Amino acid sequence: MNTNHMPSIIYQHMAKHHIQQFAPAWIKLEYDTATIKEVGGDWQHYFHKQPEIGSELHASCEILFGMLPITESFELPQVQLIQNQYTDISGIRHQNTDWVLFSDVTAHTLQMQQYQQASNELVLLKGQLKRTLNRYVGEEVLDRISKGDLQFDVAGERKLISTLFVDIRGFTPFNERHDAQVVMQTLNDYMDCMLPPILNEAGMIDKIMGDGAMAVFGVLSSDKEAVYNAFTAAKHILSSVKKLNQVRHSHDLEQLGVGIGIATGEAVLGILGSHDRRCFTAIGSHVNLASRLESTARVGEILVDAKSHQLLGEALIPTQLELKGIGKVTAYSCLHDILVYQYDI
Amino acid sequence: MIQKKICILGAAGVGKTSLTAQFVYSKFSEKYLSTMGVKIDRKQVEVGNTSVNLMIWDIHGEEKYKKITTSYLRGASGIITVIDGTRPDTVPTALEILERVEQDLGIIPNVFLINKADLTDAWCIPNDTIEELAQHHQSTPVYKTSAKTGEHVEESFLKLAEMLIQS
Ligand SMILES: Nc1nc2c(ncn2[C@@H]2O[C@H](COP(=O)(O)OP(=O)(O)OP(=O)(O)O)[C@@H](O)[C@H]2O)c(=O)[nH]1
Ligand SMILES: [Mg+2]
Repeated sequence: MNTNHMPSIIYQHMAKHHIQQFAPAWIKLEYDTATIKEVGGDWQHYFHKQPEIGSELHASCEILFGMLPITESFELPQVQLIQNQYTDISGIRHQNTDWVLFSDVTAHTLQMQQYQQASNELVLLKGQLKRTLNRYVGEEVLDRISKGDLQFDVAGERKLISTLFVDIRGFTPFNERHDAQVVMQTLNDYMDCMLPPILNEAGMIDKIMGDGAMAVFGVLSSDKEAVYNAFTAAKHILSSVKKLNQVRHSHDLEQLGVGIGIATGEAVLGILGSHDRRCFTAIGSHVNLASRLESTARVGEILVDAKSHQLLGEALIPTQLELKGIGKVTAYSCLHDILVYQYDI
Repeated sequence: MIQKKICILGAAGVGKTSLTAQFVYSKFSEKYLSTMGVKIDRKQVEVGNTSVNLMIWDIHGEEKYKKITTSYLRGASGIITVIDGTRPDTVPTALEILERVEQDLGIIPNVFLINKADLTDAWCIPNDTIEELAQHHQSTPVYKTSAKTGEHVEESFLKLAEMLIQS
């Protein structure tokens, strides 16, 4: 928009409200030097005493040290010249004249601060949660090893295991829409639906990844086959999530879905790392397959690979999939309704 | 007396403000107040027989949607790149920022601080990573610091000051 076409009364009205709140002050410099030629605007807002004509600007404004002369225009947003007062400083080179403009952006910055704080706190909290859970998982495994419950040597043992991946759908956008406290609480609630069914079915949680988890079955002793444990855990996860969603629905809270992938195969098991950061790990091609199946699964869907299906002997619906990095595979699907819908008639 | 500008960079919440507060005021607070924009502090240090007036630019953390503007770095003689020793994903963020800065300013003296060393239980930066950082541009000093206990804080800032004088 061209402000020249603005009726002057409108322009003045807007200027009064919008420009004045920034308390602008400007300093004109001798071209290509740091020498002050003119001082204008609300300089009292930024300087204790008026910067002297003919002196060097960085003598009265130390932070411009190293920035003058202005070789090309620059912006220094949100500089705290005084505690809790934020100033945008611009260096402007225009038609053989150099200008430095100061504008007070405190009001806007303090508002933004709240958003930034919430999002940064979330990042720190997420890191903490991940560490706590991983440590718990790690300790449990090391504990079982010391009890003789779990046996494998550090060099790695081969075993037929089933790997399960589960992940909350739509968590990233949810995260961006809500404040840190709410997000953490929600993440915890969904994790509470996902982790106990795994542990109850003799699954071992290998990793917690932000909004999802990887678990292996067939390492801890169980009287059932690994794949059967994995599939049972998956079904229990879906029914817990459904219950949680019913509660959330009744409180008018947003519901989230989960998707699950399971694959079975031989893997090498072992403990990686040195004594202070040991972690259990399973390495096998089916692990990648399980992860891809999980990312393909729809909300409420369990996708299992052909090997798992064969061992399970359950009637599931075959589907042809093209998986990234793997190619064409036949997977078997089991779909549950885990979201509560409200029908308005 | 020489004046030098240095910038502290890194992901959000790694401890940039806390390290500056520890170095300049010998203070630490558990409370997290996210920095907006930039705050400038000063401290005079002695390197050999030379007094150096360090002007420390504590810049806001780098986030996905809020990259650091390189105009803050104009006129800087050195940088401190901070990593959170309890969050491995702050390593790639640090390296990304450093790369952007170096594209703009060229290679200038830098030290890596891996902070929160007091949180030994939660520490998760393997020694390999530390060695890789130390190999950055052949050789870069790396310190495990704690803004809380003060461990290696002064030492690392002084190391940078020394590098500034030599360069
Ligand atoms: N235990 C411990 N906590 C620390 C240390 N350094 C910082 N913290 C804490 O980590 C949180 C973030 O510290 P800040 O110094 O504000 O981090 P920052 O890098 O300036 O954060 P932004 O300005 O948002 O980028 C605060 O709660 C600090 O108390 C440390 O060495 N040890
Ligand atoms: Mg800060």
